[in-house]
Amino acid sequence: MTKNNQDKIDLYKQHKNEYAAAKKPVLIEIKPAVYLAIEGRGEPGGEQFKASIGALYGAAFTIKMTRKFAGQQDYAVCKLEAQWWSDSGPDLSKAPKDQWRWNLLIRTPGFVSEEELRKAAAVLLDRGKGKEVKEVRLESLAEGTCVQMLHVGPYDQECLTIAKMKEFVEKNQLEFHGRHHEIYLSDPRRVPPERLKTLLRCPVRPERGGSERRV
Amino acid sequence: MRTATLDDYKQRLLRVLVHIQEHLDESLALEELAGLACFSPFHFHRIFKGMVGESVKEHVRRLRLERAASRLKLGAQPVVRIALDAGYESHEAFTRSFRSVFGVSPSGFRSSNRRPRVAAAPSGLHFTEGRRVGHFKTIQPQGKKMEVKIVQRAPLRVAFMRHVGPYSAVGKTWDRFLPVLGKEGLLGGDTQFIGICHDDPEVTPHGRVRYDACVSVDERFSPLGEIGLQVIAGGEYAMTTHFGPYNKLGRTYTRLLGQWLPRSGRQLRSCPCFEVYLNDPQGTDPKDLLTDIFAPLAARLSIPAR
Repeated sequence: MTKNNQDKIDLYKQHKNEYAAAKKPVLIEIKPAVYLAIEGRGEPGGEQFKASIGALYGAAFTIKMTRKFAGQQDYAVCKLEAQWWSDSGPDLSKAPKDQWRWNLLIRTPGFVSEEELRKAAAVLLDRGKGKEVKEVRLESLAEGTCVQMLHVGPYDQECLTIAKMKEFVEKNQLEFHGRHHEIYLSDPRRVPPERLKTLLRCPVRPERGGSERRV
Repeated sequence: MRTATLDDYKQRLLRVLVHIQEHLDESLALEELAGLACFSPFHFHRIFKGMVGESVKEHVRRLRLERAASRLKLGAQPVVRIALDAGYESHEAFTRSFRSVFGVSPSGFRSSNRRPRVAAAPSGLHFTEGRRVGHFKTIQPQGKKMEVKIVQRAPLRVAFMRHVGPYSAVGKTWDRFLPVLGKEGLLGGDTQFIGICHDDPEVTPHGRVRYDACVSVDERFSPLGEIGLQVIAGGEYAMTTHFGPYNKLGRTYTRLLGQWLPRSGRQLRSCPCFEVYLNDPQGTDPKDLLTDIFAPLAARLSIPAR
């Protein structure tokens, strides 16, 4: 397949420090970034989830290739990322999976316009691709200071890594605030669960509510 | 139930190996050799390399050099003549090859009384004047056991663009192909990206390798410009996943066709293998690339046991 070109934008390489895959929790400053995004609710891997991933990739490829065909600036389509939360709060371990909410993301260069997204969605709908593509949005996230750590292993064991992040956050008199964010570095279709690499990220802020420390 | 055993594969290859030994002065075209073993030319080279441990070309070159060595020792022909008979157009090229195999120059070899180094032969087969080849050692699979699944595939409609040229340059064809499809809304989230290699990059001259860059499409697609439509046959396939850079795909093909297949009890159908690219090489580290390789299997013959 296609080889890397020198003149092609690779956002992960450009913002390498934001994708630090540390084996211990680290604090990282995340600059505002633009994503193609689609929101939904329900179990990861369920029907709606899969249709949404399809719609998101469809939009990402169509926008990129339309630009490339027109001879505009080329760029690599980034990996899949997602924010996770539930109606009862950010802690997913307490919510049943069918109540999980997600915002699937693909990081995209800032020069991609709403107009391009609208056109791409129209072309895909015209080709009979899923109607979910109408729900894809361009979204800017400004996460600021985040704690980040590499999780190696099955997705359902992320709680172990999150516990280490939480411990680190508390020790530094910080607290989580905002949505848990994951960057999928491995391809779950062929990489065995124990070797899956996922970056876990969560925005933090100085601890509020005095010196009260949870044990 | 009659299955193709490792021994059947060995017998078929032996026919080729005998033929090569007896026709070292001929061109030994790959198609002809494949025909002798009743293998399709698509697959023959891989099976040969996987079982014999060297490619057809390497094997023929080594035997010609071994024959040259024997003629240097036993005959009085001039070195230039022996070089020509071994398929070399210049004395220098012959000397270079000869030295790389035997560790000494042809003239040094002729005048020395020391026992010469034996050329490395994974199959144990060497040039034998006048004696017929009777058997050879098959290469044993090494390292971790190859994971192969037998899968049933439905026929798949694909839009494709034909690439003729070096395999290493197929990226350029993809770079022209995908934008045309993409702007038409033909790249959805479930699109499969497939490569069909009609020629083996290791044996066909670089400029003539035919490769189809393919993208799965629905029944509404019709050919446009240089983009054609073909159907990848359904049926049973042996499937394995290649982990890592595309320039190492050849090794996995060789293991699948040359080592797994002869021990599988199965035979191949006469249509090309294909590869399914699971990730986007732009923005994926080459070591993280995943590619599924599919080899088409012939239906099992059900012959009542005697």
